Amino acid sequence: MGGKFKTSYKGDMALFQTLWVKVWLGILAAAIVVCPQFLSTYQISILNEMAIAIIGALGLNLLIGYTGQISLGHGAFLAIGAYTTALAAGELNLPFIVTLPLSGFMAALLGMVVGVPALRLKGLYLALGTLAFGFIVDYILFHWDLTQGDMGMAVNPVQIGSWSVQTEKEFFYFIACFAALATLCAKNIARSKIGRNFIAIRDRDIAAEAMGISLAKYKIMAFGLSSFYAGIAGALVAHYQKWIVPGSFDLSLSIAYIAMIILGGLGTVLGSILGAILITGIPHGIIYATDVAKESYPALSGLIVDFKLGIFGLIVVLALLFEPQGLAGIYRRAKVYWKTWPFKY
Amino acid sequence: MRRRALFLTALLVGVSMLAVPGAWAADVRGVTDTSVKIGCLVDLSGPGKYGGPPIADAFRDYVAWVNSEGGVHGRKIDLVVEDNGILPNTTLQAAKKVILKDGVFAIGFNLGSAGASAILPLCEEHKVALMPHGANKKFYDPGNTWVFVPHTVQYSMACRAVEYIVKQDPKAKIGIIYQDDGFGREGLEGAEAAAEFLKTKIVKAAPYKVGTIDFSPHMSTMKEADVDWILLWTYLPQSAAILKQKAKMAWDVKLLSNNTTGVPPLFALAKEHADGYMLVTPYAPGYMDLPGINKAKEINKKFGDYDKQLGNPMYPDYLYLAAWGYATAVVEGLRKAGKDLTPESYVKGLESIKDHDMGGMCPNITFGPDRHVSSFSSMILKADAKKARFEIIDPIEDPKTPQR
Repeated sequence: MGGKFKTSYKGDMALFQTLWVKVWLGILAAAIVVCPQFLSTYQISILNEMAIAIIGALGLNLLIGYTGQISLGHGAFLAIGAYTTALAAGELNLPFIVTLPLSGFMAALLGMVVGVPALRLKGLYLALGTLAFGFIVDYILFHWDLTQGDMGMAVNPVQIGSWSVQTEKEFFYFIACFAALATLCAKNIARSKIGRNFIAIRDRDIAAEAMGISLAKYKIMAFGLSSFYAGIAGALVAHYQKWIVPGSFDLSLSIAYIAMIILGGLGTVLGSILGAILITGIPHGIIYATDVAKESYPALSGLIVDFKLGIFGLIVVLALLFEPQGLAGIYRRAKVYWKTWPFKY
Repeated sequence: MRRRALFLTALLVGVSMLAVPGAWAADVRGVTDTSVKIGCLVDLSGPGKYGGPPIADAFRDYVAWVNSEGGVHGRKIDLVVEDNGILPNTTLQAAKKVILKDGVFAIGFNLGSAGASAILPLCEEHKVALMPHGANKKFYDPGNTWVFVPHTVQYSMACRAVEYIVKQDPKAKIGIIYQDDGFGREGLEGAEAAAEFLKTKIVKAAPYKVGTIDFSPHMSTMKEADVDWILLWTYLPQSAAILKQKAKMAWDVKLLSNNTTGVPPLFALAKEHADGYMLVTPYAPGYMDLPGINKAKEINKKFGDYDKQLGNPMYPDYLYLAAWGYATAVVEGLRKAGKDLTPESYVKGLESIKDHDMGGMCPNITFGPDRHVSSFSSMILKADAKKARFEIIDPIEDPKTPQR
């Protein structure tokens, strides 16, 4: 088995466990800084979507992957974040540095409220409870005059002092910073006492309670943290798109986020990132495939459009069948293979 | 030390790259001396899939015809038809693709009001003229430099419908069943505005959630209110369900609906119950002998698949004709913009279109600097179930209710 033998608790808890991890992260950071220079505006816009999705997926993985609490209301928390920032900036003229954390805290507050029934509900019943919450949010956004119904509302651009984030490239660097910060926080939460308590609750809540872990406290905390992440992601979506409509935050978005963490890998930070990249990337991959097919096989490109949703579903089903541990599982296996080569284990 | 050097080198490379300009963009996105790229966003895979293909057919035929005549100012039109899935998220992805990847000069059609709202900032940012369909009054009032609506919107049609009813029966008691979304609420808003203008009122309004097909409670509510006419701001399946419910109740109430339900499948769904069903629409029925419709048919025969399209009695020709109006506006705008085509000159070109003749197919197109909607007019049609078609019972006319 590949790995590094640790001789101290501090070493086991280290954020960056080996020199190579640091080197690879350095290369990744450099690549992130450099890559927009080689990409088209369209490709950068895809990366921006992925970066925002990473933040939302990290939050959901803390709730479902680490704590084992199923939620079908993640899209609603993104909506709360998006509309909080839009209303706070538009109606109250609050600056972005205030509206962004406000969005996170508003979503976290409502997340904790939703978390209360989670103390008595499990599995499918909890899923139904969070689904109902999503419908309530949806109804309010459609019918509240302030949110302007299904035609949506404009969102002020991001303005920090005299700096305004306008172009896709500027947004890329801006959102990448938040995605990196969110990843760092998630990694820290996961390796801390809170993360271990989440995992204990997920694996066997009665045993966790017997060990002295407060189920109420940690379940509500998981909902609060997850919703905070979703609120931040929602606020970034709002400022990035500059216009929000309730239809963008419906049940399909919640399902997309669940697909991200399942395909990426439940209960792993890396899985959230890989899953977000995959699920956000598939529709764009289909667009590229359609364009290529359009040139040589016009009839085939029509078929791809017809079966677009089916292709998306097929990829998800095949991934679940052949890699139930998600992309993070593939990564783990590749890492072990690399480390133990030429031996098999 | 070496690690730090590695990081610093990587960072320096990255920062220095920031100073290098990206790609050399063309002077005007989507425009060359010989071509102009136009986007058409329709639903080919989502809930509005029914509407996408005939709209794309009309655009393809119209563009093929214009290109066969030499294009506009020597430029052939390069049409990019993209599936927008009608929902806001999918529409945004489609718009990003056609603007940022394909580099279209303008979006000549976008199906779905909420989706059009979602892509508005993107269009503004990249100076892309946008023509939304299913358009809401909000798109031209107060208006936006880049948005043009070559279509009579639901608000104006609802006004026209109420005015028609009051003309027929000044003491009519009017109710409305409407879909509880932007489309239905705009119908309600127009109906209430017209009722107020005519010093009458809508006695009962019954909303329904998207996807509802059981209308017995709504119809019972209308019956209790003892209405003479019911306005329907509904889509096709709901209208068909209401027609059946009306027959079941053996109630002789008059129904007046909106343009989206004026399609051949209504007769297949409601059969003989469709008889007498009325609707308000800006488009004349496709079988009529009108210069505009004849021209569309002639071009469809030459460039399209006539037997499967306008020659097919089950084809949703009103969507084809609606798109025809949009394609006409797109091309007329290009003509008026002149040889020196820029987003700004295109907007000016569109704004200079005055009373462009549509040959009776739909209201003529007129835009102006302070008017980005082509028309407020519509006509009233009545269903003849035996012939399985609609007939005009009140010609194209502007509503008298103030539209802004």
